[in-house]
Amino acid sequence: MMKSGIRRDLLVAFLALAVFVALPFVYTKPALRDFLVYVMAYGLLAMSLNLLVGLTGLVSFGHAAYFASGAYMFGLLMQTGRFSIPLAMLVTFVGTALVSLVIGAICVRLKEIYFSFITLAFQMFIHSIILTWVSLTGGDQGLRGGIPRPPFLGVDLSDSTTLYVFCVVVFVICVTVMRQIWQSPFGYTLRLVRDNPVRAMFLGVNVARVKLGIFVLAGAMASVGGMLLALFVSGAYPEFGFWTTSGEAIFMIMLGGTQLFFGPIIGAVLLRLLEHFVSIYTEYHGLVLGLVILIIVLGLRQGVADYVVEWLRRRKETRQASSDKTSVADAKVVEREAI
Amino acid sequence: MDFEALSSCASSGACIVTQISTALIIGALLFMVASGLSLIFGVLGVINFAHGAFYMAGAYFAYAAYQATGSFLIAFVTGALGVGIVGVIFERFIMSRVYGKDVLMQLLVCYATILIFDDLVKMIVGADYKMMGMPDAFALPPFEFAGGFIPPYYVFMVVMSLSIGAGLWFVIERTRLGKIVRALAINPRMVGALGINTMMLYAVVFGFGSVLAGVAGALAAPTRTLTPGMGLSILIESFIVTVIGGMGSIGGALVAALLIGFIRAFGAIGFPLFVDGIMFGMMALVLIIKPSGLFGREPAR
Amino acid sequence: MLSVQHLDKHFGGVHATRDVSIDFPDGSLTAIIGPNGAGKTTFFNLISGASRPDAGKVVFNGQDIVGKSCVEVVRLGMARAFQIAALFPSLTVSESLTAAVTSHQRRAWMLLNRFPLEQARQAVEEIIELLGLQAKAHTLSRNLSHGDQKLLDIGLSLAMKPKVLLLDEPTAGMGPDERWRMIGKVQDLWRAKAMTVLFIEHDMDIVFKIAQRIHVLKYGAVLAQGTADEIRSNQDVIDAYLGTDHHLAQAAGEK
Repeated sequence: MMKSGIRRDLLVAFLALAVFVALPFVYTKPALRDFLVYVMAYGLLAMSLNLLVGLTGLVSFGHAAYFASGAYMFGLLMQTGRFSIPLAMLVTFVGTALVSLVIGAICVRLKEIYFSFITLAFQMFIHSIILTWVSLTGGDQGLRGGIPRPPFLGVDLSDSTTLYVFCVVVFVICVTVMRQIWQSPFGYTLRLVRDNPVRAMFLGVNVARVKLGIFVLAGAMASVGGMLLALFVSGAYPEFGFWTTSGEAIFMIMLGGTQLFFGPIIGAVLLRLLEHFVSIYTEYHGLVLGLVILIIVLGLRQGVADYVVEWLRRRKETRQASSDKTSVADAKVVEREAI
Repeated sequence: MDFEALSSCASSGACIVTQISTALIIGALLFMVASGLSLIFGVLGVINFAHGAFYMAGAYFAYAAYQATGSFLIAFVTGALGVGIVGVIFERFIMSRVYGKDVLMQLLVCYATILIFDDLVKMIVGADYKMMGMPDAFALPPFEFAGGFIPPYYVFMVVMSLSIGAGLWFVIERTRLGKIVRALAINPRMVGALGINTMMLYAVVFGFGSVLAGVAGALAAPTRTLTPGMGLSILIESFIVTVIGGMGSIGGALVAALLIGFIRAFGAIGFPLFVDGIMFGMMALVLIIKPSGLFGREPAR
Repeated sequence: MLSVQHLDKHFGGVHATRDVSIDFPDGSLTAIIGPNGAGKTTFFNLISGASRPDAGKVVFNGQDIVGKSCVEVVRLGMARAFQIAALFPSLTVSESLTAAVTSHQRRAWMLLNRFPLEQARQAVEEIIELLGLQAKAHTLSRNLSHGDQKLLDIGLSLAMKPKVLLLDEPTAGMGPDERWRMIGKVQDLWRAKAMTVLFIEHDMDIVFKIAQRIHVLKYGAVLAQGTADEIRSNQDVIDAYLGTDHHLAQAAGEK
C-alpha cells in the first residue's frame, strides 16, 4: 500500500513533466510559456504555503518573505560570478531555510491571529530592508544588472526553451517532494496539530517543534519559487516580498482548496486565467474577481477543489451506507483515495 | 538616518510645530479608524479586513457631497451616514455569513469587497487623483503658535477625533446601550436570551465601527488626495495600531495611533525609508513581548 | 506506581486543590467522585502535566514529575481521555489511531516513508478490536456517534501504551444502557492491559459496582476515601454528595 503510493505519485510526476514540457511545442505562442512559468513560480509559493495553512493550520500572512528571499539571494549570488546556478540554488535554499528558522522560532510560539500578524510584520520588515538597503538590493528599482545564466553541466539556460524545461523539472521535483511530505508520517503528525493541537500534545507530539519544522520546510520551498521567477525575469523586485504577494498566495489556496494537495495549483491557474481573460474584456477585473470570490466563498463556502472532493465523498458515503453491512475484511479492502 | 535634517528641524520652532501638528492629525485619523476596527473585533470577534474601504468610501462620499453642495457640514454628514449604511449592508449580507468561520474565509470575503469597492470608485468617479480642497468654512488664516503655523482645520480634526473618542468611551462605559454591547461581547447567547435582538445589535455595532472609519475618511478628505488605493495603506497602519495598542482597547488605540503619527511625521524628515521598518518592527516586538497589546485584554471570544 | 502528595493549587482567588494526598496502587481501578466544582478535572490536569501545582509532589514511577510538560508525562507512561472527546475531526478512526501509534513509536517525524507505516499496523488493529470499532475504522472522527467518539478518545490514549490511564467521565452524555456497556469496556481494557486506571464518574451505581477504591473530593480537598461500602456509609459523603434520599445510602443504612 505504501510502495504503491510512492510509485503512483512518481508516475504522475513523470506524466506532468512530459505534459508541461510538451505544451509550448503544441501551442507555440510565447504567452503560454510565460503563463506557465508564472503559474509554476507562484504555484510553488502557494503550495508551500498550503503546507502551513491546509496541512498544519498555520495561517501565515507573511510567506512571500521567503519567496523574495529566494529571488534576491539567488540573484545576488549569481551576480558575484562565483557560483554556478545549481550551487547558488542550493545555497539560497539553505540560506532561506535558516532565515525561516530564526523567524519561525519566534512566530510559532504565538497562536492563531497573532501568529498571522507577526508573520506579516516580519515580512514587511524584510520588505523595508529590501527597500532601504539600496546598495545591495537596488531599492525600489529591484536588483540591477540582471541575473547571469552561465552554463552548467552542459545546460545553457540562456536558451529560452532550455530555461523553460529547467523550470519545469525543478517545479516537478519540488512538487513531488512536497507530495512526499504531505503523505509521510510527519504529514499526518501535522494533521494532528491542525485538528487538535492540545490533544496532539497528549499523544506525545512536541507541537511547537513540529510547527517550526514545517515552517522551515515551507519557507525553503517558497524560495525555490522565487528563484525560478528571478531566473525567468532575470531580476528580483521588492514586490516579491510585499504583503500583496502573500495575499495572492492565500487567495490561490482558498480558491483552489486547502485540503486537496493540488488545490493551490488549481487556484493559481484559476486566478491567472481569471485575471488574463477578464482584463481582455474590461479593465475592471477587480470587480469581476471580487464577485467571483464572493460567489465561491458565500456559495460554495470552501475552495473549488475542496467542494468537488467533498461532493464526491458525500456521494460515496451515501452509496456505501445504503449498500452492505460492512465486515472487517470489507472495511480493510475499501480503498480510500489517498488525496 | 538623516540626523542633520532632524536636528535642524528640532532647532526650528516652526518645523517642530508643523511636524507635531502633522503627527497629531495622522494620529487622530488613525485613532478613529483603529477604534472602529477594535470595536468590531471586540464585540463581533471578526477582523474587518475591509475597514480601509470604509475609510475610502467616507472620503469619496464627502468629496461627492461637497462637489454637489459646497457645504462641508453636508459633506461630513454624508460621509458618515453613507458609510454607516454601506457598513450595515455589508455586515448583513456578507460578513454575517462568515461569522465563526475560518479567519481565511473572512479575509477572502473582505478582500473581495475591497476589490469591488476599488473598482466601483474607479468606475463612478474615475481613477485619477481627486482633491477636495479646504472647505470655505476653514479657509481661515493659520493659528500662530510657538513660532509655527497650525492650519485651523487641523485643530478641528484633532478636536473632532478626541470628542468622538471620548463620546465612544462614554457610550460604552457609562450608558445602558454600552453595557448591552459589552455583554454582547462576552456572552451573546445570554444577551439574546434576555430578549434583545442580537442580530440587529451586531449590525448596529458593525455599522458604528464602519462609521468611525468613514468619519475619518470624511475628515481626511480636505487634507489628502483621494485615490482608490487610499484604503489599503490606512488599513495596514490601523492594524499595526490595533496590535500595538491592543485589540478591544480604545485607550490603547489612542496611544498607539499617536505613536505611529509621530513616527510618520518625524520619520518623513529624518528616516523616510525606515518608517515602515520601524512600524513593523514595533508590531513584531509587541507581539513577542505582550501579544495582547500594550493595553489589551484578551478578547472575550 | 503513582503517588500524589500534598498537592495544592490556586487559580487567582480560588483554592482549587487543597493538600490532596492519594496513593494509587499498581493495577488498581480507582474512582474520583464529588460534586461539580470539586476540582476533579483540575486534579487530572495537575497530575498529567497540563497544569502546574503550587505545591506538592506527583511521584510517578519513582520520580517527581511536577513541572514536566504533558508531552514528557505522556512519554513516561501516563495517558488520558477527556470529558468531551478530544479527537481529530478530519481523520478517520484508523488514521487517528495510526498517527497516535506512530507518535508513540517515535516515528512522528519520518519524512521518507509513506503513512500509514507498516510497523504501526498491528498495534492499531489491536486497539480497534479491543474497542469494537472494526466497522467504523474508516469513518471520519467527526461523523462518529457520541459513544464511539468517547471510545476513540480512550483508544488514542491506549495508543500511548500507558501504565496509568486517566479517564475523565467516560460515560458522560450517555443513556443508562450505553453507560453500562461503556464501563464494561473500560473494565475489559483495564483487565486486558493491566493498567492503573483512574476515572472520574458521576453515576454512583457504576462507581459502587466496579471501583476498587473511591476518593471523594469536595472543594478541592479529599473528603473521604475507601471501598464502596465504606464510602456509602460515610456520613460526610452522604451529607455533601449522596444525600440522605439516595437509594444506595438508604441501602447502606438498611444493612
